[in-house]
Amino acid sequence: MLFPRVGRKQPMLRIAWWAVVAFLCLGIALHLFPFYFMLVSSFKSGEEVLAFPPTFWPQDPSFAGWKLVFQIVQGSAGQLLDAPLWLFFWNSVQITFWVLVIGIPITSMAAYANSKLQRGPMARWSFLFFIGTLMMPAALTLIPNFLLTRNFPFALPNAPNIPGTDTAFPTFPIWDTHWAVIFPICFQAFNFLLFKGFFDTIPDSVIQAARVDGGSEFNIFRRIVLPMSVPVYAVTIWTAFSLAWDQFLWPLVVLQTPERMPMSVELYLLMERIVQSGGTSAEAAAAEAEVMQDMLGGGLSWNGLMVLAILQSLPVFIAFIVCREYLLRGIRLRGLK
Amino acid sequence: MTLQQEATETAGGAEPPAGTESQVREPAPSRRRRLERALFVLPAFSFQLTWGWYPLLMAFVISFTNARVRGPIEFTGLESYERMWSDPLVAEAFRVTAIYAVLSIGLTFFIPIFVAILLMEMPKRHIRWMMLLWFIPLSGIASTLLFRYMFNAQYGLFQWIATEVLGLEPQPFLNSSDQVLFWLVFPGILFFGPGLIYMATLQGIPASYYEAAEIEGAGFWRKMWTISLPRLRPVISMLLIFAVIGSTQVFEYPMIMTGGGPGGASRTVVMYLYELLQNLRYADATALGVFLFIGTMLLVIIQRRFFREDPDA
Repeated sequence: MLFPRVGRKQPMLRIAWWAVVAFLCLGIALHLFPFYFMLVSSFKSGEEVLAFPPTFWPQDPSFAGWKLVFQIVQGSAGQLLDAPLWLFFWNSVQITFWVLVIGIPITSMAAYANSKLQRGPMARWSFLFFIGTLMMPAALTLIPNFLLTRNFPFALPNAPNIPGTDTAFPTFPIWDTHWAVIFPICFQAFNFLLFKGFFDTIPDSVIQAARVDGGSEFNIFRRIVLPMSVPVYAVTIWTAFSLAWDQFLWPLVVLQTPERMPMSVELYLLMERIVQSGGTSAEAAAAEAEVMQDMLGGGLSWNGLMVLAILQSLPVFIAFIVCREYLLRGIRLRGLK
Repeated sequence: MTLQQEATETAGGAEPPAGTESQVREPAPSRRRRLERALFVLPAFSFQLTWGWYPLLMAFVISFTNARVRGPIEFTGLESYERMWSDPLVAEAFRVTAIYAVLSIGLTFFIPIFVAILLMEMPKRHIRWMMLLWFIPLSGIASTLLFRYMFNAQYGLFQWIATEVLGLEPQPFLNSSDQVLFWLVFPGILFFGPGLIYMATLQGIPASYYEAAEIEGAGFWRKMWTISLPRLRPVISMLLIFAVIGSTQVFEYPMIMTGGGPGGASRTVVMYLYELLQNLRYADATALGVFLFIGTMLLVIIQRRFFREDPDA
């Protein structure tokens, strides 16, 4: 609407218009190129991914990368990974699933209550309570959160002693379990903001009418507000999904057992192993493990890593495509007010 | 439903119904209703308290102690702060983080704003697919991995662009302590998530504003400057805060792409904090977190001053 409605046939306007179109299309091309390169690289052979100059189309398309990755998936890769790859994928799925199942209902209900049920200073304070942590760097709470998972409910290295005795308070360590990854990101303040922004735009009269008809608050929420709010649920599910799926630092901190790692961390560990064993240097150095040598000799390199990167990205794509229709309609933010 | 319809709908809905609160006096809620209301908030309240505010409070407590793995904890005052303050690696990490934050905000924050404004100019039936292609996301880990491959100094794609296309000398990319921070910004460029928020906000601007401006003789830039950008301002302000907080806490890009190298030239504050945690220096790590918190808060306060006015207020 920045371009005038009338007089679009003027040559200057036409040039400007097509310049904007060209700019946008160029941006799209630049944006899609990494996706293309990732896909193409996954079909190259082990030598070709290390060749200079890089090729933009596989010279002899091979499924070596994909085949090797499927060996890893089934767990026949020996010492390269501590467990079959599908297990890490499954861990990621589980973590993400619980974050969504616990997080979305509690966040939306709190935001609804804050938007429609609370009034005056109460509403103001609870709003600040819920979004206040948004402004705090997560790095500040990293250590206390970590200690909290070790000695729940004490965010200290050791539980204090019960006063007057020598025994410590009992603790419920959830460290090194999936719950330690799930709980801290169940409530996401940004999603609260998204929900609140959306619920604020629902007229009060709708809810008043239902209240007059005698619905309980929960029924009003479930039968009237929920069906109106599908777009905002789509948006928050998408943001919560990508956050939980791509978590990196936190699982690295709280998980110890290799079999419990999510895919994102495992991808990093695998890359480190391949890089260190020389799989990505031009002269493929000999690795200690025999099986690993076979893998590298068989051409496991960036092609295999690209396959894994595609696998890691697929769920994010799918979530984006599924939610696409709702994304614009679900966002009604008005700043931090 | 066309975008046009949606725009008017959103605009209509976005205005808070004026004076409802004072006109419609609700009867005092019954006890049952009050209980129900409490139940709505309670689960989120407990999660936010346990995993949000409680660790935040404890962060300040722990930073004043000698917290370690074994042995009793004693308050040691500012000792860990002093240790962190005089640690040359901390100063270096802050310098690295500051440079990264400036580069990353400068290169990635403003593009989505203008892309969103320009995308809204496209014919309605094209907006949808263009938007999808502009904002389609990639997993952060996957993107970082891909860029590590493309930045390889021997066979990476960027080396090819530098030498064959631009005709430069072979560049060291991630192996050079001068360049590494600049290249670390790139994996983040793929994430245009904020663009969707801008587009959603732009959609809520009634078309009549632009028509009125047009009748008054306002041109392209004038309309952008006096209608689009002021309307976006609260959202820009908010997302800028998040961008500042996010970029000062960068961890996964340097961790995956360089591991902090070469020679600590890309070791950010959070990476150093992670190292301290691995060495079980809990109190020092928390004190470092407090430093980062203070630095970020200063930036946020400065930023809030610049963005104080609000067109809708």
